[in-house]
Amino acid sequence: MILKYDLSKENTELCGLAPEEEIYYCLPLDIDLKGNFRQNSYTVMTNRRVLILEEGELTKEYLIEQCDSIRSEPRIACGILYLEKDGKQILLGRFSAKHLTRYSYLFRGMQIFKQGRTDHVVSNEYERSCPKCGRALPGTKECPRCAGKKDGMVYTLLTLMKTHAGRLAVILFLMFLATVVTLANPLIQRYLIDDVLLREEKNYSEALWCLGLMFAMSVGIVFINAGKSFLCAKLGAHVGEDLREQLFTKIQQLSLSFIGDRSPGELMNRILHDTARIKDFFANMFCNMFTIVIMFVVVCVYMLVLNWKLAILAFVFAPLTVILSMAWRKNIQKRFRLQWLKSDKVNSNLQDVISGMAVVKSYGQEYREAEHFGETTDELARIQRSNEVFFAIFYPILSFLLGVGIYLITYFGGKNVILGSMTPGELLQFINYTSMLYNYVNWISGMPRSLMNLATSLERVGDVMKQEPTIVNHEDAVEHEIEGEITFKNASFGYKSYQPVIEDVNLTVHKGEMIGLVGASGTGKSTLINLVMHLYEVDDGQILVDGIDIRKIKLENYHSQIGVVLQENFLFAGTIYNNIRFAKPDATYEEIIQAAKMANAHDFICSLPDGYNTYVGEKGHNLSGGERQRIAIARAMLNNPRLLILDEATASLDTESEYLIQKAIGRLTEGRTTFAIAHRLSTLKDANRLVVIDGHKIAEVGTHEELLAKKGIYYGLVQAQLKVKL
Amino acid sequence: MDREKDFMEEKDFALSQMEQETDEMLRIRYLNKDNAVFERTGTGFLSLRIGEEFYPRVQVVRMFPFMHVDELLSIRTPDERSKEIGIIEKLTDVTPETVEMLNEQLTLHYFTPVITRIHSIKDEYGYAYWNVDTDHGPCRFTMQMGGSAVVHLSDTRILIMDIDENRFEIPDIMALTNNERKKLDLFL
Repeated sequence: MILKYDLSKENTELCGLAPEEEIYYCLPLDIDLKGNFRQNSYTVMTNRRVLILEEGELTKEYLIEQCDSIRSEPRIACGILYLEKDGKQILLGRFSAKHLTRYSYLFRGMQIFKQGRTDHVVSNEYERSCPKCGRALPGTKECPRCAGKKDGMVYTLLTLMKTHAGRLAVILFLMFLATVVTLANPLIQRYLIDDVLLREEKNYSEALWCLGLMFAMSVGIVFINAGKSFLCAKLGAHVGEDLREQLFTKIQQLSLSFIGDRSPGELMNRILHDTARIKDFFANMFCNMFTIVIMFVVVCVYMLVLNWKLAILAFVFAPLTVILSMAWRKNIQKRFRLQWLKSDKVNSNLQDVISGMAVVKSYGQEYREAEHFGETTDELARIQRSNEVFFAIFYPILSFLLGVGIYLITYFGGKNVILGSMTPGELLQFINYTSMLYNYVNWISGMPRSLMNLATSLERVGDVMKQEPTIVNHEDAVEHEIEGEITFKNASFGYKSYQPVIEDVNLTVHKGEMIGLVGASGTGKSTLINLVMHLYEVDDGQILVDGIDIRKIKLENYHSQIGVVLQENFLFAGTIYNNIRFAKPDATYEEIIQAAKMANAHDFICSLPDGYNTYVGEKGHNLSGGERQRIAIARAMLNNPRLLILDEATASLDTESEYLIQKAIGRLTEGRTTFAIAHRLSTLKDANRLVVIDGHKIAEVGTHEELLAKKGIYYGLVQAQLKVKL
Repeated sequence: MDREKDFMEEKDFALSQMEQETDEMLRIRYLNKDNAVFERTGTGFLSLRIGEEFYPRVQVVRMFPFMHVDELLSIRTPDERSKEIGIIEKLTDVTPETVEMLNEQLTLHYFTPVITRIHSIKDEYGYAYWNVDTDHGPCRFTMQMGGSAVVHLSDTRILIMDIDENRFEIPDIMALTNNERKKLDLFL
């Protein structure tokens, strides 16, 4: 995301920069306090000052050393910027939602200057529209239109097809063959008419020969086209498959920060839909593209040679047919989109009422809902009717209009034949070429759209492929058997660089110790755990595992020694057996049963009709929260982890299952370094030490008794919970 | 379990404080010219004094932004865990000077230009590019198609969200010219 917009010369002069002063950030103030749009107003931050430039004037100026902080505040579809100075808040300006995220970086920018540092804050977020051409970006860094030219779409396509060179060669040969055969057919027809049928002395066998050849060509073209389509479809399927696999591998490699910034739906879209579009391009467009473009050119030239006057007449009608059919397509699209929207409305209305039937009935609103539904279906029916009528009336008219060119050619050409300046065979050939031309023109007119769709999909796929995972194995990474001592050293971290979630955390956790993390939601408990799991890396400071920097330990090696039990445990679609052995695929039956027993899961599993083979997951057997939890504990137990993470592992359970799980967890945590987060403080009664997190920092550390005696935040939390229970 | 007993015996619960907070939250406090004094801070914001209470900066929010623009305003603290200080039921409850101050803050809070004229809507590859005049000046914006970018507030009143989450309003589509409505048709 751009944090430094270009400033005009006049505006830069207004800033009156001192010798070693440099503009670090420059952001537009695109609306004024009343909300009127402005083009030439900016917030400028140098390493020394904050400046507000409004419509060619320097209106406000503050020295950074005299300010406490600069803050932006989101408002409704806009935001405001203010300065904190001498305990006051000073309004600086206002901007539209387009710059909301941008402005939040200024805070961190100023903090850095105030610490006496000079580094730039960089935003990894993407722009939403291309700064060059102004078009919306499809969730990518580069604009498919502006970058496509630079990187070369053809090059990308060629690399995709590299492994299929053989198949490609056959396809190209078939394309060539198809071109020749298609163009030659009218040629032979002409010969048949002019040189065989209309000749004085009739040659019966020659006519038969011609017919035979024409027949053979017609049959041949069917085979050639079928072969071509088959090979192209196969090529497309292979390219799509390659891409899907590459994308999936890449997305798994990428750090959670990349995935966290995008919705699962969007990533799925890229893996499924974008690759499918690329596949479709190969299957439908690619195989015809070259053939049609070549034939188009050849046909044009041939027609000009044959009879240039007639050719020009035919050409005049070509754009007309394109305009006509494009207008038709647009209109139809519009009409059917409207119909689709309405049917969507009916669908969602229906879904709403059916899933909320209990509410509708209990409030006695059936009649009103029925009426409402009737209105929407009526509307849909009306539009459907009008669309069908439109189609029925105008489609034949369109076909007629598209054929007008041919009638005219026949008329003028026929005149030429009567006058003797053209042979009947030539006329037939000419008419054949004209209808080919009209077909091709329509096909070619749709090409830019398909190519643009392809470019967008390629860009969206390429965007993921170009990402470098931020968490990778360092060259000197080692395998390490975890003992269990974890140390935080001045650790700071934020998901977005302008928003620290954890600041300057220092803590040493001893081997085998159970640490309870306590604090209000959103204070950074889960974040701390994410750092311990090495799903994210600290921005500043270090995390040491047995004295070794966590970044120096091989990722797979480290992760294989961690056990995780979360509040909502994810069970994959599959059997209980497969779910338990997920972390250790080579576990023996005995190990699995042992783990399940220790997790208090064995008994309930055996009482299921299908035992360990019970199918769970999205569409599988409905397990209760406690049961799922115990399977997750068995999964963690089986792996014999050295480090254990419990994130709200017993929340949202009834008392009985909580007891069973507490027991299971008790067994699990024995002798293992454990981090446990819990809102219900009683869950943490076995913890050796409690760490209270507040305001992005560690506020209190100590045993339960120590913290109670301190009468601080923990004391308050305990009291509040007891009161709720009373 | 023993430990829990220990807490229970701790007699000095801040129970009354908690109850008081809850009660305060439930109370509807109307502000008017007799009990509330609003003042400009001189740095772009608004301060409020209610008897002994003083708030150096308050936020003014509409409770029904689409239905009642000048009624039922909530006066709140500006911090993250914003709390309500009081409610202004009608603008006639306060002095004309206060009305002016409140309107300033409302203008600052809400940004929804009203589209007065549609020059063109170009639809290209899943996005619609609008070129319009608004009551706040001419503007171009981009809207994603097929999503939930258009919200129908009523049969004739729509709200359009662009890709940056800016909002634009068309208060009455029937008031547009035929030609403009035709351009809009695809999105309604």
